[in-house]
Amino acid sequence: MSYIQVEHLRKTFTVRMKREKGHVLREKNTVTALQDISFQIGQGELVGYIGPNGAGKSTTVKILSGILTPDGGKVLVDGRIPWEERREHVRRIGVVFGQRMQLWWDVPILDSYALLREIYRIPEADYRKRLGELTEALQLEELLRVPLRQLSLGQRMRAELCGSLLHRPGLLFLDEPTIGLDAVSKLALRDFLKWENRENGTTVLLTTHDMEDVAALCSRVMVLGHGQKLYDGELTGLLRKYDTSRTVTVRFENPDTVPDLPDGAVLSREGDQLKIQYAPQEIPTPELLARLQKTGIIREMTIQPQNIDYLIASMYREMDL
Amino acid sequence: MNTIRLYLRSMRMLMKCQLEYPVFFILQTLAQLVMEGGEMMAVILIIDRFDQVNQWEAGDLFFFFGIMSVTFYLTECFGRGLTGNFPSLVRTGMLDTLLLRPRGVMTQVLCSAVDPRRITCIAVGTASLIIGCSLARVQWTLLKAAAMAEAVAFGSMLILGLFAVEAVFCIYSVKSVELVNALSYGGRSACEYPIDIYPRPLRILFTAVAPFALVLHAPASYILDKPIYGWPAWTAFVCPLAGAAFYGLIYCIFRKAMRYYRSTGS
Amino acid sequence: MRSYLSAFRLRRRMELQYRGAMVGGIICQVVFGLILIALYRALYAGKPQAMPLNHVVTYVWLQQAFFRMLLASDPDLLDKIRSGSIAYDLCRPVSLYGFYYARIMAQKITGSLMRAVPMLVFAALLPDGWGIAPPSSVPGLFLSLLALLLGLLCVSALENITMAFTMRTLDPRGIQGMLNLLMMTFSGNILPLTLFPDSWQRVIAFLPYAQLLDAPIRLYTGDAAPSEAVRILSVQAGWVLVLTALGVWLWNRHQRRIVLQGG
Repeated sequence: MSYIQVEHLRKTFTVRMKREKGHVLREKNTVTALQDISFQIGQGELVGYIGPNGAGKSTTVKILSGILTPDGGKVLVDGRIPWEERREHVRRIGVVFGQRMQLWWDVPILDSYALLREIYRIPEADYRKRLGELTEALQLEELLRVPLRQLSLGQRMRAELCGSLLHRPGLLFLDEPTIGLDAVSKLALRDFLKWENRENGTTVLLTTHDMEDVAALCSRVMVLGHGQKLYDGELTGLLRKYDTSRTVTVRFENPDTVPDLPDGAVLSREGDQLKIQYAPQEIPTPELLARLQKTGIIREMTIQPQNIDYLIASMYREMDL
Repeated sequence: MNTIRLYLRSMRMLMKCQLEYPVFFILQTLAQLVMEGGEMMAVILIIDRFDQVNQWEAGDLFFFFGIMSVTFYLTECFGRGLTGNFPSLVRTGMLDTLLLRPRGVMTQVLCSAVDPRRITCIAVGTASLIIGCSLARVQWTLLKAAAMAEAVAFGSMLILGLFAVEAVFCIYSVKSVELVNALSYGGRSACEYPIDIYPRPLRILFTAVAPFALVLHAPASYILDKPIYGWPAWTAFVCPLAGAAFYGLIYCIFRKAMRYYRSTGS
Repeated sequence: MRSYLSAFRLRRRMELQYRGAMVGGIICQVVFGLILIALYRALYAGKPQAMPLNHVVTYVWLQQAFFRMLLASDPDLLDKIRSGSIAYDLCRPVSLYGFYYARIMAQKITGSLMRAVPMLVFAALLPDGWGIAPPSSVPGLFLSLLALLLGLLCVSALENITMAFTMRTLDPRGIQGMLNLLMMTFSGNILPLTLFPDSWQRVIAFLPYAQLLDAPIRLYTGDAAPSEAVRILSVQAGWVLVLTALGVWLWNRHQRRIVLQGG
């Protein structure tokens, strides 16, 4: 049986509208956050969960973590129904929200960890070992005695991660963990998540808008839109499907060379560079390159797939999200 | 046991947080002194002008004021998570974070804040109690001490219960939270004076609805050897249980409200 | 002038939004009023005073009705100062003092009128000895309204001063908290100033806090005869001038600091 099993999950919210003049009762609107979502996640998987704002991502995470009760459907995490056995369930999960801190603001993070130890009832020896392991992997040793408020955003995120992994959760939910981080911090965070997943077999569900995170970490992605699951599978498969346009930048020895291009390729000139945009499904890349080579001596050439964010945007557009 | 240890640990850490800003902390503590000092001054001036009310004399009145003040501010000090911070827990989404931890929600709410600035209020209350005892020439016995401890303990539960009502309002996002203040702060103001000076509707309100009279006044009047309404001595020990009952009732409602919260999101 | 008016209007609209909270607030205030009156009735039953019970009851109702006027702090504004987004306001071509004065006053007027009117209607319907008494005389009523206006100017100026302190310490709760609490005691909210010992009253009546509600209430109940009005009103006006001048001076000083801090 899978580690996480979700079947036909449904959730609607009632939004109370502002009372309008002349109406006695307030109108109520129902918003469907999730309609009929099903998926399974195996132990040790690293799954990206993406979709535009309001697609129902955080509703799913809240249900899976036991904060929200769904309207219908079946959810089993490690054999438990999250919202019915909340305490047992949350003892085995870790959650990190990118925009919300769970550590205490004014005290050294070590003190926060000590309190978390108390909350999760972690045995002393276990706590020591785990803390040592995590501080090393997250390079937190020097920061342990510094109050949280004096840390930079990147340091704070690392401290948060450490805090939510102290009790060795088998499942980690990450909600926008890299939001606002600089490049170095982002890379360090990704490396750490890979490490944690590899070393401890922690299952990770990553909600994000940052496609680079997904590309770097997750072999599998699920795309959510309008409360429905639209795609579930490998990221490369998704990209191939929407990889409708690539650009070749080329510089010939003789800048005046004009290549002979197949139909459908678009040529533009920038200084002494030529840019050729084409759809790989229509014009196979080797064929295009062969033609270019025939045209003249190439001094420099790069092929770029379209930016991953554009890909996702075009996917959302096509799915009418 | 573990819960108590967790609470004590949380308190220690939160105190540490507060003391990170010493100037602010001192100013605030002084402000609290001004506040509760003002309240006590009103009692002094009233006693100065009116001498007594019903059969209650100066010492009795100081005692009633003191027991209310000590109970109320002890609760506000150690139950701050519920008495002051709950709305912001809901607003900032901290309540969700609490749900992600393997402990009871109420335990964690109580562990989430402390308000040591109330120490000056408690001091004012204690001073008033001492003045009251000496003016009324209270002869302390073990039973009286027990009655006092019981009053403070169950009084705290009653007050926590009242603030839990406010929390329930907050979860159902009812805007008129101040309505509950009529019972909690109103109860404090009214029951700084013995209940039998009030007309019947107020007596019913603070005996049957928010039972300050049962929890505080029955034992207090027993200690002063002037049992209220001439009630027998055992009532001083049984009546305060109303505070626990009140808290228990509201706690059940609170749990129900949390279920609602978890089915609606924030 | 128009910009001050629009600051005023905007703030008023925001105040009007919280109707549910207001109903709860009114009921709470009424309960407080009833508790206090019950207490004074019991005290009077034991030992009647020179000051008639009727006056004390009226005093309590008026204090409760206009409680919102005393209650300080515009949390938005304080947040603005702390978060530094006050910088936007500094860019506006208006005097900041005037701008905030208008804002504070709007909040106080709408906040207290919307509560005062229903409460006073309720209090007028109560039986004699529980409800509010009519004003002692027609001139008394007009004079008390005038005094109330001066009181409003006074309390707005006071609040602007705490605001200026906030700009310096960036944390409002210390100083402001203390001033607020002093205000509760010495404005007659906790205990009518008329029940303070007579020797104290002579001093307290000159403090700025007594100008807010105590002075208008005394003119209303007739504790202060219309012939004393000139003295009372000029003390009030004097405080308005002093507090406003102090506020402007503090704002000008601290404003420069804020700009230097870079918001």
